[in-house]
Amino acid sequence: MRVKAAIIAPRDAAPASASSVPCHSSAARNGRAQRITRSGDGYFALLALLALLAPFAAQAVDFEKDIRPVLRERCVECHGAEKQKAGLRLDARSLALKGGDDGPVIVAGKSAESAIFQRITSTDKDERMPSKGDPLTATQIAAFREWLDAGAAWPETAADIAAARDKRLDHWAWQPVASKQLPVASVQSPAEHLSLLSQQVDTIVTAKLTERGIKPLPEADARTLIRRLYFDLTGLPPTFEEVAAFEKACDRTDHSDQVRSLVDKLLASPAYGERWARHWLDIAHYADTHGFERDQRRDNAWRYRDWVIRALNDDMPYDEFLRLQVAGDALHADRSDAIIATGFLAAGPWDFVGQVETPSPVLKRAARADDLDDMVTQVMTAACGVTINCARCHDHKLDPISQREYYALTAVFAGVKRAERDAAPRGMKADAGERPRLSAELSAVNKQLVQIGQRGLDLADIVGGGDGTGTGKMGAGIGLQTGQQQIEGIAGQRPKPNVPTPVAGDFIDCVLLPNGDGADEIAVSTTGVKVRGVPQTSGETWDAIRNGAIIPQGTTKIGATDYAADGHSLLGLHANSAITFDLTPFRAALKTGALRFRAAVGYGGRPAAGMGADVRIFVDGAGVFLSENVGPKSAPVPVDIALPEGARFLTLMSTEGRDGNIGFDQIFYGDPRITAAVQPALTVLEKAESGRLMARKDELEKKLKPLPAPAKSLVFGIKAEPPPIVKLQHRGSPEDLREEVAPGTLACVVSLKPAFGGGKLTDAERRIALANWITDPANPLTARVIVNRLWHHHFGTGLVDTPSDFGLGGGRPSHPELLDFLAAELIAQKWSLKAMHRIICNSAAYRRATAVTSGLSREGNNAATAKDAANRLLWRGPARRLDAESVRDAILAVSGKLNREMHGPGWRDFDYKEEYAPVYSYKTPDSPALWRRSIYRFIVRTTPHQLLTTLDCANPSNLTPARNVTTTALQSLALLNNDFILRQSAHFAERVKANAATPEAQASLAFAFAFSRQPDTGEKTAAVALIQKRGLTELCRMLFNANEFVFVD
Amino acid sequence: MNCPGHGTPLLSTRREFLWRAGGGVGGIALAAMLARESRAADALAVRRPHFPAKAVRVIEIFCPGGVSHVDTWDYKPELEKAHGKEFDAELGKQTFAGVAGKYAKSFWPFRQHGQCGRWMSDLFPKLAAHVDDIAFIHSMQSKSALHGPAMFMMNSGFLLPGFPSMGAWVTYGLGSENADLPAFVVLPDTRGLPPGGVVNWGAGFLPAVHQGTVIETAAGRPPIADLFPAQPREAEQDGRDFLKTLNAAHAAARPGDTMLEARIASYELAARLQLSAPEAVDIARESDATRSLYALGDESAGPFGRQCLLARRLVERGVRFVQIYCGAENTQAKKIRPNWDSHEDIVRDHGYWGRVLDTGASALLADLKSRGLLDSTLVICTSEFGRQPFMQGKQKGRDHNPGAFTAWMAGGGIRGGVAFGASDDYGFKAAVKPTYCYDLHATALHLLGLDHERVTFYHNGIKRRLTDVHGHVFKEVCA
Repeated sequence: MRVKAAIIAPRDAAPASASSVPCHSSAARNGRAQRITRSGDGYFALLALLALLAPFAAQAVDFEKDIRPVLRERCVECHGAEKQKAGLRLDARSLALKGGDDGPVIVAGKSAESAIFQRITSTDKDERMPSKGDPLTATQIAAFREWLDAGAAWPETAADIAAARDKRLDHWAWQPVASKQLPVASVQSPAEHLSLLSQQVDTIVTAKLTERGIKPLPEADARTLIRRLYFDLTGLPPTFEEVAAFEKACDRTDHSDQVRSLVDKLLASPAYGERWARHWLDIAHYADTHGFERDQRRDNAWRYRDWVIRALNDDMPYDEFLRLQVAGDALHADRSDAIIATGFLAAGPWDFVGQVETPSPVLKRAARADDLDDMVTQVMTAACGVTINCARCHDHKLDPISQREYYALTAVFAGVKRAERDAAPRGMKADAGERPRLSAELSAVNKQLVQIGQRGLDLADIVGGGDGTGTGKMGAGIGLQTGQQQIEGIAGQRPKPNVPTPVAGDFIDCVLLPNGDGADEIAVSTTGVKVRGVPQTSGETWDAIRNGAIIPQGTTKIGATDYAADGHSLLGLHANSAITFDLTPFRAALKTGALRFRAAVGYGGRPAAGMGADVRIFVDGAGVFLSENVGPKSAPVPVDIALPEGARFLTLMSTEGRDGNIGFDQIFYGDPRITAAVQPALTVLEKAESGRLMARKDELEKKLKPLPAPAKSLVFGIKAEPPPIVKLQHRGSPEDLREEVAPGTLACVVSLKPAFGGGKLTDAERRIALANWITDPANPLTARVIVNRLWHHHFGTGLVDTPSDFGLGGGRPSHPELLDFLAAELIAQKWSLKAMHRIICNSAAYRRATAVTSGLSREGNNAATAKDAANRLLWRGPARRLDAESVRDAILAVSGKLNREMHGPGWRDFDYKEEYAPVYSYKTPDSPALWRRSIYRFIVRTTPHQLLTTLDCANPSNLTPARNVTTTALQSLALLNNDFILRQSAHFAERVKANAATPEAQASLAFAFAFSRQPDTGEKTAAVALIQKRGLTELCRMLFNANEFVFVD
Repeated sequence: MNCPGHGTPLLSTRREFLWRAGGGVGGIALAAMLARESRAADALAVRRPHFPAKAVRVIEIFCPGGVSHVDTWDYKPELEKAHGKEFDAELGKQTFAGVAGKYAKSFWPFRQHGQCGRWMSDLFPKLAAHVDDIAFIHSMQSKSALHGPAMFMMNSGFLLPGFPSMGAWVTYGLGSENADLPAFVVLPDTRGLPPGGVVNWGAGFLPAVHQGTVIETAAGRPPIADLFPAQPREAEQDGRDFLKTLNAAHAAARPGDTMLEARIASYELAARLQLSAPEAVDIARESDATRSLYALGDESAGPFGRQCLLARRLVERGVRFVQIYCGAENTQAKKIRPNWDSHEDIVRDHGYWGRVLDTGASALLADLKSRGLLDSTLVICTSEFGRQPFMQGKQKGRDHNPGAFTAWMAGGGIRGGVAFGASDDYGFKAAVKPTYCYDLHATALHLLGLDHERVTFYHNGIKRRLTDVHGHVFKEVCA
C-alpha cells in the first residue's frame, strides 16, 4: 500500500554537487538540447535553457519557501489527495518520493534524472508539466534544479504525514465498535435485562424519528405479531389454534410478556435452525451438485447443511460457528462435526472438467485460480462484508485493499482442495456400531480361507495395494505413467505406449499403455515377454487401473450383480491399458503350483448404445482370451483361465475397439480372483474349519448387508495439502506470476495484525490464523456484519442496506450507534445469535403495525411515507413477501401435508439420468418423502427448480446476501397452474372437508387454515359461492394465490 | 475505470424521489403512480436508448460445442499447404484433450461468394447466398477451453456462473415492446438444454423478470411452463374474480403498498400471456412457402427450422431478444453428437449440424429480409469457441480452440460483406485485432442504442455491467 511504500531517496542524502555526476548530466543535457531543436518552441526552449544554465541564487534553496508553494499551487490539483494522475502525489513527502505508476520522479542529487524536472522543462507540449496554465517560470525551474541537485531535502512535517495518510482508512466500518455500556442495575432478572436491551434499540430508533418529525405506527395486533414471528423465526405459519390462544393471552396481559415467551418458544423450536440455515446457505452458495458443464451430484454435501441447522439450533456461539467453517478440520482433527463444518469452504460451484478432466496444465491453473477466488470471496464476504474479489486483478478501486492482500488471503487457502472425504476423524473408525467390528472379522475370515485354499486372492485388492485378502485401499489405483499408487484422477496420464512401467511389490510386474500401431509384437512384462495381435489404438488412455470404479464409470453392474457392493470386488481397466501380474507370489500365498483365474468381465461405461471395447488376456504372452466390442448390451462374459505350474505372467488388457475413441471404453473385472487350480485335498480338520469359516463368512456378509453403506460418513468438504508457494498474479492471470506472497489478511482493520508469519506456515496454521483474525473481538467487521444480517432478515433491509459490502462502495448505516450497540452486545452475550433475536424481536420497532389500519391517521401515514418511504427509519413494521421456500413450506403446512422429518440426504423431486452431463428431469413432488421442508431439497445448480426459481429463490451460483423480490406474470402462472400447487390445493380441500361439512363451515375453516383468521361477511359469501360453483379445491387454490398468503404484515 | 464505483439501487432512489417530489400531490394519487412504477410490466416498460438505435431487437443463434471456424467461415489457404504436417507437440499438450495430431485443411472446400467475394465453405451452400449481408468477426477468442465456462463467458462476459446474460442486460436496458409476451425468450434445441443449462440465460443479480423465458419448441408441447394447468380445467374466471375481490380488499387496507398492486397486475398479465403465447407459437397459418423455406418437414433440419421460424414470429410480436440454440448438451454418443463438439468425427458431426444451421439460418435471414424486418433486427451467430486446425491425436475430429473462432452478425446496423480481424495463417490463434465477447457485446448494445458502459447494476460492491471493464465497439462492421 501506498502509505507503507519504501522511500527510495535517502532520507538525509548528502548534497551532491553538479560536478559529481558530470557524465550523466552532460549526456542528459545533450539529449535535451536535441529535443529543443526538434520541437521548435523557441521561446520556451530559450527559457528552459536559461533556467538550466542560470544558478538559482547564491543561497541554498529552501524547500518550504521555494518548492512546496509551487507544488501546492501548480501540481497538487492533479497530483494530490483528490486526483492522482499517473498515480503520483506531490502533497506528502513519502508519497512524492515513492513516485507514480512509472516509478520514482525525484532522484536526490540528480535533477537531470528526475522525471519531475524532465517534465517541467519539457518542450513537448503534451509532456510538459503543469499541463494546465503557463509553464513554470525560469526562477521556479532553477529552484527545482538546485533543490534536486542539492539532494532534494524535504523535511517531513505534520502536514506531510497527515496528507500521506490514506483517508479511506477513516471509513466507518474499519473503526472499532463504539459501544455505549448500558447502566446495569445491580439486580436484574434476565427478563428485565432483555427488556432494557430492547429498550436501548428503541431509544436509538425513536431519537432519529423524533429528529425527523416522524410519528411511528403503534404496535401491531396480536394476530399480526404471531404470524410475523412465526414466519420470521421458523419460516412456517402458526396454526389457527396457536393464533387464537396467543390473541386470548394478549387480551389478558401485557403483549410484551406474551411476545417474550413466544420468541423464546420459537427460538427453541427446531424449525428455527431450518429457517435461519437457509439464510446462511444463501451466503455460502450451497448446492448439491458441482455446477458447470458436467454438474455431477455431490451426494454427501447435505452433512454440511445439517451441521448449519444443528449449530443454529444449538445456538453455537457465532465466533465458533465461523472458526469451525474456516478451519474446523485443523482445529479439531478429532471431531467429525468440525470436519463437516468445512463444507462451507467447498459449498460453491466447482468445475470438474477444468479441475480434473482436462490434461492441459494451463486450463487446470485457470480453474484452480477461480476455485481459490470462490473460497476467499466466500469467507471474506460472508464473515466480514468485504468485496475482496475486486482486488484480484488490481488494487481495490474503492476500498483500501491491495491486490497483494488478495493473494495473501489466497495463500491462506492455497493448501485447500474441495473433495469428498470421510468425516470420521483420522485414526478412528468411520462410524460406531456393528459395522467396523463385522468388517474386521470378515476380513480375518477371508484371510483364513485363503490360507486353507478355499478362497483365492483378489486381484482388485492387490491393485489397491493389498495382499489379496481385502487389505487394499478401495478406490486406489496404479497410474500407467508412474507405476505408483494414486487416488487422484487422471492427472498427467501420458505414458509412452508399449513401455512396461514396473510396479513396486511382488504381485504386479508392470502396467502399460498398449498400441499395436503396426508393431508385430509388444512387450507386456519387464522381462520382455511379448504379445502379438494387439490392434492399433489412438495411443490415449484415461484414469488409473483401479481397485473399484474408475473415473468416470457409468455402471458397476454385470447382469444383476453389483460388483461395487459388499462381498464383491471390482478391478477397473479403462481402455487403453494393460496390467501384468507375476504369478510367483500367488503360488507362495496359495501354497500350490497350478492356479486358475476367474472373473466376470463387464462394460463399465455409459449405458448407451454403440460403445464397446476389446478385452484380451494373455498368459506368458500367449493369447488365451479375446472378446471384442464388449459394450452395454453384451452378455456377461465369464472368464476361467488355467494358469499352469510353469506360467509366470498373467496380462489383462483393454483396448478401445474399432471406433478409435477411448471415450466411455471402461472395462472391469468383477470378483477377479486367482485360486488354486484344483481345490487342495483338505484334511478332515481343515474341511471342518473351512466349513465353519464359510458359514461364518456367509453369516457376516448377511449381517453387514442391511447396515448403512458406505460405512464412512462421507461429506463434500475439503482436503488439506501442504500449501504451494503463492505468487501475485499480474492482472489476475495465473500465467503471469510476480512476487511471492505470504499468507495474511487485510491491513485496513488497523486494530489487528495482518501478517500471519510467512510462507512456511502449514495449511492448518494459515487457516487457524485467519479464523482467529475474523473472530477476534477486536475485529469490528465480523460482529457488525452478522448483526446487520440478522436485522436484514427481520426487517427486510439491513441497518446497512448492502449486507455483504461494508466497504466504501456499500451503504452507510442508517443507525450507526444501533449497529454498534448490537455488535458490542453480541460479543458481550458470548456471540449468541439467539440473544440478538430476542433483543430485536422484543423491541417496539420490530413490533409495529405495517399499515394505517392500525390506527394512525391516513394523513399521518402519508406524512411519514413522504419523509421515509423506504422505512429506513423504522416508523412502521416490516411488511414483506415470503421467500420461495417459505411459500412452499406454508402451502404444505396449510394443506396438512408438511413432513417435518429433519436432516439427512436431500429430497429429490427429479429423475436422474447418468450422462456425461447428467440429466435432471423434475417431476411433481406428490409423496410424503417429497413433502419435507424446502431446506432439505437436493439443489441442482444447472437445472434449477422451476417453481422455486420462479419465486426468486437464490441462484446457488451466487453469494446471495439478500433475495430479489420480483413480481412477474410467470410467478402468477406458476402459483395458479403448477402441478404441485394444484395437487396441494386438492389436499388442502380434503383437509377442510374432513373437518367441515357445509360450504359455510368449509369457507370459514379454509380461511382459518390459510390466513389464521375468519373470513368477513363479504368474503364468506364470495367463498361459499365459489365452492358451490367450482368446488372447494378451487377456493383452496385461490387462497394459495392470495396476496394475504404470500405477504406477511 | 475498473470496477466502477457504486450507486444507490435504482428503484429505491426513484421511489424515494417520487415520494419527496410528490409530497403535495396527495397520497392516493401518488400511490397509484407508484403502483404503476413498480409494476413488473413496467420493469419491462420501453426505455429510450442512450442514442438512436440501428436495431431494436436481437436474434442470436448460439451453436454450442465449438464450431470449427476453419471448416466453415475462416478460409485458410496456408492450412491447405500445411495439411498432413505434424503440429507442435508441446503446444498440443496445452489443448483440452492434451494431444495434437496433424494439420488438417477444411473438410469442405471454400469458395468466394456474393458481390463482396468473401469466402465460405461448401458446408453452407444456402447461407453463402447471404454473404453480402453478413459481417464476420474472425478474431474472436475465449478465456476458457472448457464448454461450461466458455458458454457462460460468451453469454454473460464472465467465466463463472451467476452473471446476467446479454439478453437479460438488453431487456434491462430497453424493456419490452410487448407487455403480453416475455421480453427475452430462449428457444432451446429439442434434444435438451446446452452445456451449463439455464445459467446461460439467467438474470444473475438483475431482477428475475429479465431472465430468459424458455419457450418449448417441440411441436405439441405447451410453449411455457405452467401456462395452463396440467389437467384441463373448466372456466377459470370465477376463481380469478374471487381472487381479485380478495386481493382488492386486502390492498385497500394497506394503501401505499405498491407491491400489492403490482402483484394484482401480474395476474392480469398472466391471463393475457395465456392468450398471446399460444398464438405466438401457432404456426398453422404460416404459408406452405414459409414452411418449406424453413424445411419444417425435414427430419434433421426441421426442428431447428421451427426454432428459427418461431424466432421470427416472436420478434414480429415485439419480443426484444430471442436466443436460439443450434445444439444441446454434450455427451459422447457415438452416432451423431448432440451439438458441434466434434472431437472424433468432424465430417459426421459438422456435416450434420452444418446442414441444420445452413437451412434454418438462411431461411431466417431470407424471411426477415422479405418482411422488412432484417434492417431493424440484429442477427448474431456464434459459438463458445472454435476448433483446432489440426486433428485431435489420431482421431478424425478437432479439439477445442479458444485461441480463435468466428462469429458473424447481420441485419440491423451491420455493414454486410465485411470482416473484422483475422486469425493467423492456420486459424490457430487470433492474429489481427484479437477480440473477445466483450467487444461483440459492446457492439450489439451499441447497435441497440445503448452505451455498454452506462447499462449498469449495483451488486455486492460493484456497479456491474455486461462488458465488465472491457468492451470496444467494432466500428468497422457498423453501417
